[in-house]
Amino acid sequence: MKKSTIIVIAIIVLIAIWGITSYNGMVKMDESVNTAWSNVENQYQRRSDLIPNLVNTVKGYASHEKETFQAVVDARSRATQMKISADDLTPEKMQAYQKAQGEVGSALSRLLAITEAYPELKANENFKELQAQLEGTENRISVERKKFNDTARTYNTAIRTFPRTLLASMFGFDKRPYFESEEGAEKAPRVEF
Amino acid sequence: MKKLTFLLTSLLLLGFVGLQAKQYTPKDIPMVRLQDRTRYVSNPDNILSPRAVTVIDSILYALEQKTGIQTVVAVVTGIEGGDCFDFAYRLGQEKGVGQKNRDNGLVILLSTDERCVQFATGYGLEGTLPDAICKRIQNRYMLPHFRNDDWNTGMVEGIRAINGYLDGSMENIDDQEEDEIWILLLIMAFILGGICLGGIAVYLSVRQKTRCPQCKQHTLQRVSSRIVGRNRGVKTEDVTYRCRNCGHTLTRREQSQDENYQPPRNGGGTIIMGGGSGWSGREGFGGGSFGGGSFGGGSFGGGGAGSRF
Repeated sequence: MKKSTIIVIAIIVLIAIWGITSYNGMVKMDESVNTAWSNVENQYQRRSDLIPNLVNTVKGYASHEKETFQAVVDARSRATQMKISADDLTPEKMQAYQKAQGEVGSALSRLLAITEAYPELKANENFKELQAQLEGTENRISVERKKFNDTARTYNTAIRTFPRTLLASMFGFDKRPYFESEEGAEKAPRVEF
Repeated sequence: MKKLTFLLTSLLLLGFVGLQAKQYTPKDIPMVRLQDRTRYVSNPDNILSPRAVTVIDSILYALEQKTGIQTVVAVVTGIEGGDCFDFAYRLGQEKGVGQKNRDNGLVILLSTDERCVQFATGYGLEGTLPDAICKRIQNRYMLPHFRNDDWNTGMVEGIRAINGYLDGSMENIDDQEEDEIWILLLIMAFILGGICLGGIAVYLSVRQKTRCPQCKQHTLQRVSSRIVGRNRGVKTEDVTYRCRNCGHTLTRREQSQDENYQPPRNGGGTIIMGGGSGWSGREGFGGGSFGGGSFGGGSFGGGGAGSRF
């Protein structure tokens, strides 16, 4: 065998090794973005699960605040209908999801605002613990959102840097959207008491 | 005039005290555990009394021995940004409090400027110490004392209550074990690799010896040897080789260990005398302090609860 053929084969083998390892790396990163996304969804789901209990507890003390209850329940049902699989996370879907969840958040903060007017409700042990759970869930949501953004950033950087970007476009690795920083209606309610 | 001076001085003093209240970031919190693994309370501003610190340390040490739960207690005057949850969470996450595979870290933060107490539970503790329980402990055992600025009683009672919930909740499984097995395997691999390399080296040197310089075949055969001299256990001899292939003969001078060598009778005794220095036994006992500990690298997901007072 000629020397030049050996060199060519060696280069091809090296490129193949590089291709395989970076492809596998991208698959791994893609998977961790998916995991991070499902963690975010889980925490939002957890907040949804708390809502009926919270609304019922508040109802016992402030039965005439019907509109506020209705607003929370509606926002919740709109948000739970929206399920996005991690594979087709487009910026538009992401924004819609964030908007729906932001509405739940602001409806909840209005609900918590009216409870200020009911001292017996605020003294209720059950309500206190529900509030603690809600606060914990809001904290978890913000932690998981941040983790999602970090994972997505690592992934996006990896698939968009040369020369991996060639491989990424060949195998259809797409850029993932981020959670926008919270503003206005999307601001999670500060539960402090 | 005297009154005015007094007022000015006290104002200055107040300003001085105000300046001293440090705004901590999670990185600034001294991790006492790294120096001494029986200590858990970071108390850089001496807000807690030494006695309270000792009590808390002993409770948390016993808890870790039984359950493996790693706790960090941080008591500071003020924190940067003023977000107690964020501070406690980052403290736990960045230092990696908790065992790695179980994420059973717990951070307890008290900031006297923000007037807040915050628990942060690792992923693995969220089930055993739910947010509602954290809140209940704070409401019942800590806040009544904290409202009166009684930091010692509030912390000790709160941590006793936490211990009551967590004690017996899980077994202390040492998750370092897996790492140690890996290290052992690695060492064994090294040893095996060394043996293999040694074997190859010996084989090659033997093979080299049998190589005929004329026809380059490995067909040299030892024919005869003549002892040149013996000196202190080293035997020198001239060895004659002959090639079976081309008939080339050569002689090499070789040195080897002399099996028949006997050391002189009186000289050897001195070697046995060593090692008997009896007074060096002090090390390893006293001291009373334990070695530094480490954190397992546990992860946090925002569990726990906080209260202001």
